[in-house]
Amino acid sequence: MSDAATKPVHDQALCVFAAKDFASGAHPVWCPGCGDYGVLAGLERALATLGKPPHEVVLVSGIGCSSRLPGYMSTYGFHGVHGRALPVATGIKLVRPELEVIAVGGDGDGYSIGGNHFIHACRRNADILYVVMDNRVYGMTKGQPSPTTEPDWDSDIAPGGIGLRPFNPLAIAIASGANYVARGFSGDPDGLANLIVDGIRWPGFAFIEVLSPCITFRPEQSEWKKVVRPTSLTIEQDRAAATAWCSATTASAWVSCTVATARRPRRHCSRKSRLPISNANS
Amino acid sequence: MTAGAVFLRAAANAGYYGMMTQLFGAQVRGGESAALVQVSTEPIEAQPDRYDLFVALDWDKVEQFAAEIPLDEASVIVADPEAGAVPAGIAKSKGRVVSLKMSDPDAIRLERGLYGKRVNMFAAGAVCALIGVDAKHVQAAIENIFEGKGAELIAANVKGAVAGAAAAPGLTLNFRLDQATLAARWLISGNQALALGALRAGVRFVGCYPITPATDLVEWLAPHLKKLGGRLVLGEDELAAINLALGASYAGTPAMTVTSGPGFSLMVETLGLAVAAEIPMVLIDVMRAGPSTGIASKTEQSDVNLAIYGAHGDAPRVVLAPISVADCINTAEYAVYVAESLQLPVIVLSDQSLGQATTVIDPSSERPKPLKRRTNGVAADKPFKRYAIGPDPITPMPLPGTPGREWVAEGLTHSEAGLPASGAGVHVAQINKRAKKVQRFDPGKYWGESWGEGDIAVLAFGSTIGPARAAARRLAAAGHPIRVIALRVLSPLPMAALARALDGVHRIIVVEQNHGAQLYHHLIGQKAIPPSAESVARPGPLPYRPSEIASYVV
Repeated sequence: MSDAATKPVHDQALCVFAAKDFASGAHPVWCPGCGDYGVLAGLERALATLGKPPHEVVLVSGIGCSSRLPGYMSTYGFHGVHGRALPVATGIKLVRPELEVIAVGGDGDGYSIGGNHFIHACRRNADILYVVMDNRVYGMTKGQPSPTTEPDWDSDIAPGGIGLRPFNPLAIAIASGANYVARGFSGDPDGLANLIVDGIRWPGFAFIEVLSPCITFRPEQSEWKKVVRPTSLTIEQDRAAATAWCSATTASAWVSCTVATARRPRRHCSRKSRLPISNANS
Repeated sequence: MTAGAVFLRAAANAGYYGMMTQLFGAQVRGGESAALVQVSTEPIEAQPDRYDLFVALDWDKVEQFAAEIPLDEASVIVADPEAGAVPAGIAKSKGRVVSLKMSDPDAIRLERGLYGKRVNMFAAGAVCALIGVDAKHVQAAIENIFEGKGAELIAANVKGAVAGAAAAPGLTLNFRLDQATLAARWLISGNQALALGALRAGVRFVGCYPITPATDLVEWLAPHLKKLGGRLVLGEDELAAINLALGASYAGTPAMTVTSGPGFSLMVETLGLAVAAEIPMVLIDVMRAGPSTGIASKTEQSDVNLAIYGAHGDAPRVVLAPISVADCINTAEYAVYVAESLQLPVIVLSDQSLGQATTVIDPSSERPKPLKRRTNGVAADKPFKRYAIGPDPITPMPLPGTPGREWVAEGLTHSEAGLPASGAGVHVAQINKRAKKVQRFDPGKYWGESWGEGDIAVLAFGSTIGPARAAARRLAAAGHPIRVIALRVLSPLPMAALARALDGVHRIIVVEQNHGAQLYHHLIGQKAIPPSAESVARPGPLPYRPSEIASYVV
């Protein structure tokens, strides 16, 4: 693809900002080892790369560990109520299209209480970026299963497991019409920064699902760094994988799948993930 | 419904004042309905005690409306004999029944047009002729209402109205009104008037979700907003609607959301956020009968508690209520200015009775003085102290995009710089800051209105003001002058202005349309009125009629 969005982004000579220019200096509430530090670093690097000054960026979030992020950056921010980051971000972008509007949050905030907004933000396709730090648990309330939690994960509130099929954010985003859909890993801030730069440059609604381990309530997720690694193939190079995935989905979803995968310049995925897109690659 | 609209517009064209309210059955589209129209040489602000004339186009399910269409022995019921006998619920009024053949039930649609037997236009033409509205005004009304529907359709409808007018003299009824005075007036509903006021004030973003009886407000507003370069976004739910508006406002555009009770309940979460994060916004609640989904199309004033107190935590805000259909324009405009200048949510409590009453008004040239948001942050501390504690509780909120003033709008208890904090000191300081904004708010002459003299005062808000004023006029004519005090600012209560208005009054009667006497308890709780004050509180959906208030007072 020859689109600007797919060009290499680390052209340091052009950058007038450093990542630290985007840090507020406030000390995060996150536990040591939390994946969200990596996402914060990725965002700072991506914004430095893009060369947008902090005052032209608005970070919008809801409630949860990851939703604290706007306070840790030197940009404008809006830390609203649980689950409502996307409508706030959409309202900002619609009246101030020149601002870079980025919504951030967690899996509970975005997929559970904010699930309806997630679907309709994809549909509405406003030119904003949405980064979800998915740790498959409600961390701030100390360890309850979220929509992406595995059905058999044991917890105080759901002994023996919640018993529900996990929510599939990438499939939902694609089916709902998001223009850019990608998955990243907090353990790879540089790779994540690339995805964020691509997502910001891409017109329309860009969604990046970030695997961001919660080492406090899901210590087993520290294993993710061993199993999550960037794929060496892009979907454009791997026709067979793309075809296999598309044929595995329903006929009605086929068109949007094709569009979305064709538009994805780069992606990272987990071998162990249940998502069809990684099955095709594992 | 179209017949009522033609009648009202024709009478307005002829220089009469008028008001139309509508009754619908439970059907989604079509089905039974009734248009209640009043016309007069004097301004009309309330539904009447009785109707003079009842014209039945058919009798289908008409009895469900009987309680809302008061008739008596002096009323005349005009009906087509072919429609059958007058139903018991209508006949019990003992009104005089007059037969008028309005349609040929066997006629096909084409014939109805050709032979002037379009029954609703026939009726409108007949009623217009009875009160003395000239045919040219009727034709102009039809042309206006059917604009864009084609010359053929307009001609057929005009023909129907002409035929009705021709049949009117045969009824030997006398409903002729005195000569009207022509003036430039507006035919407008309360919902349209609120939308107009908001647009005048500079609202350029609306987040909404469909809900009766507020939807026609945004439907009227949408094309005008578009012309002005604004934006209306239909949210996926009311949670989205209010958050869309809040985001737009944070970004610098005066924004509002429009809803009714059930939607308002969903929005309360973000109402608290707007208070805590100090973001201006206007929320219009066109109240309907509650609780829960209640009666979607009928009026009540039962969201007072929700508007004034709804939200967890201490969440001071300003609550306004329009005084009349005409005042909806200024109250909405004022609401936006208050929200912008105090950086908080302002709720406008309208109701279905005001919102969906199409009324002839004398437009006022007087408008509220614009008040602006403070955006000019000085002294760039790092980080910028958006929520600074100082002598002035209203602190600048720089627009995103302003260099060196970056701040985070924060719903958690926060420090002066907007960072989450949980200490007692910051919590109390910020609570006090927000409370002070509201305590220091002085609406000046916009606190409300007061009319009349005497030592009895009827205190009302919204759609109960009209019937209270009609009752006062009647009582004054009978030698019992009373005062009517209309509150525009329901919260914070304008204590000083209210005390002045109540000076010399020994009997206070608070009239409102809800079961729990919500306004009364608010006034008592704030010590704005003495415990001896009386409460007249009953739920909707039936409107207060002047006689109901007058008979309570004396």
